[in-house]
Amino acid sequence: MSKTRLRLSRRGLVKLLTAGALALPAVRRARAAEVLYVNTWGGPWEEAARAHLFTPFTAATGIEIRTISPVSFAKLAAQVRTGAYEFDVTTLGVAELGRASQANLVDAYDASKIPASSLWPGAVTLNGINSHAFANIITYRREKFPNGGPQSWAEFWDTAKFPGPRCLQNYAGRVLAFALMADGVEPGKLFPYDLDRGFRSLDRIKKDIRVWWSQSPQSQQLIRDGEVDLIGMWNTSAQQLVDQNVPVELVFNQAVIDVATWVVARGTPRAKNAWRFIEFAIAPERLAKFAQQNNYGPMNPGAFKFLTPEVVRRMPTAPDNLAKAVVLDAEKLLPELDTMAKRFERWLSS
Amino acid sequence: MAVELTPQRIPGRVCALARPPAVLILPAALFLTVFFLVPLLLVAWTSISEPQLGLGNFRDFFASDYDIAVLLRTLRAALTVTLCSLLAGYPLAYVAARSGAVLGQALLTVVALSFWTSFLVRTYAWMVILGVKGPIAALAVALGAPPPRLLFTTFAATLAMTHMLLPFMVLTLYAAMKRIDEVTMRAAASLGARPWRAFLAVYLPQSLPGIVSGSTLVFITSLGFYVTPQLIGSPTDKMIAGRIGQEIEQLLDFGAASATSLILLATAVALFIVYNRFFGLERIWR
Repeated sequence: MSKTRLRLSRRGLVKLLTAGALALPAVRRARAAEVLYVNTWGGPWEEAARAHLFTPFTAATGIEIRTISPVSFAKLAAQVRTGAYEFDVTTLGVAELGRASQANLVDAYDASKIPASSLWPGAVTLNGINSHAFANIITYRREKFPNGGPQSWAEFWDTAKFPGPRCLQNYAGRVLAFALMADGVEPGKLFPYDLDRGFRSLDRIKKDIRVWWSQSPQSQQLIRDGEVDLIGMWNTSAQQLVDQNVPVELVFNQAVIDVATWVVARGTPRAKNAWRFIEFAIAPERLAKFAQQNNYGPMNPGAFKFLTPEVVRRMPTAPDNLAKAVVLDAEKLLPELDTMAKRFERWLSS
Repeated sequence: MAVELTPQRIPGRVCALARPPAVLILPAALFLTVFFLVPLLLVAWTSISEPQLGLGNFRDFFASDYDIAVLLRTLRAALTVTLCSLLAGYPLAYVAARSGAVLGQALLTVVALSFWTSFLVRTYAWMVILGVKGPIAALAVALGAPPPRLLFTTFAATLAMTHMLLPFMVLTLYAAMKRIDEVTMRAAASLGARPWRAFLAVYLPQSLPGIVSGSTLVFITSLGFYVTPQLIGSPTDKMIAGRIGQEIEQLLDFGAASATSLILLATAVALFIVYNRFFGLERIWR
């Protein structure tokens, strides 16, 4: 008898412990009542975002921010399909924004979510809130071209005048803009892309592209170690190389500007706080500090008040740089994104 | 109570307690069901239900020269890696198995050491070694030759994959070779066989199970390689795992990606079946 009672109480204990263990996440949730999950690029991007956006947001609202990296477009799609949300907010480039809006992955914007007073004309693209711009620019090693390297994509394509191994990003939406400009298309007449012409132009350079980069640290490593002499890469990562005294030259002429836009994952239960965070993150002074740290160009025009001319000069959206650049047009590229990506993949392997 | 605990003898059978109770496989079975079987079924369902119900994704795959080329290239690369690791691994395992305990253990430790470094780290190490500032390029320059282009080639990917999968091959071969009775070699010698003849006629056939097991393991593992070919292989050498990644990350085509994954899985399973038919699956682990 006494043995039975002992066994029962032991079982009871196990049950209690199990119930307790199962309830733990709930207890944790209850303590930190409000959490927002933000998808980040990691590295220097996250450092800047944490310092200037996340920590101040938590201080101002009490909402804790947890980060998930790296930015994964596929995850955004998977979350909306499964209803299990790993992150609520993410940033997308122009092409991803187009695809996300085609696949209906982002929460629709309306004035109830962010009041017009916090925005500026052209702030919203396809339900994404424009945050900061980064440029895809020509970068070359100074010692390889002591008399100056290529100043345009046509010169980047000119392997006789500028011999040497090259590298471009494995990213159709940007590379086709380079290819078309190299073939003489006016920057103003770039969109939508003439795909046949673009791929014909790419054919000419293919054998000189040693490798196609896919992650920004990889692009830095390739030019830093001298694996390639010229590269098309992000101004932000190229500027980091300059800061590390790597002998590279940045060419802002014909830069292809892509814009990172904040979007809210459609259907997330934390949408309200997500929009609150976005409104917070695009406020002029905060965005200025965030952008300054990594040489992004703030999209909120109000941000420039808080930046010195010397800092602005390094940004892709500085008036001088912007005049020489093209900005990717999400809306015009939208219909051809799918064909473009598929054709590019095949072209790479052929 | 005490009486019940005593093992009972069932006439003509082994002791009832000696047979492991079926309940012991329950945790593993449950784990595999929840984390492998159910997701796999979901993938199978996605492959036939998106974008619409039917076998369209599979039809598209087999109708596309590009996809077939990727699959064939993957199989060819896996075969090359298998042959290379067999050629490099066999002598190593042979020496480790037939030499004294100290040298044998030392060799195996070195082989096993590389297991402790992640694939990604080893890929980056190869980037440094094969790079323009690496030791090979430095040697070429010192000898007055232009630095060879090694990175971003099929050669680089094959070399790195062989290095990564070599431990699988060596350890499997070693296990098989340790089971070979040394007496048979001495018998061959005493009957007048020269070392090479003894090796070919006596040792090699006995080590065949190890060769088959090791090759199967290496072949099937290399079918799914993703990072290494992507980072240091030739840009034109797309492998099937990279293709699946692209279908999801860039094209958001979950249906096609699921179909491609299942085709890869089916290829691996088909190979396992062939292997099992001729050699028995459980031998891999022996």
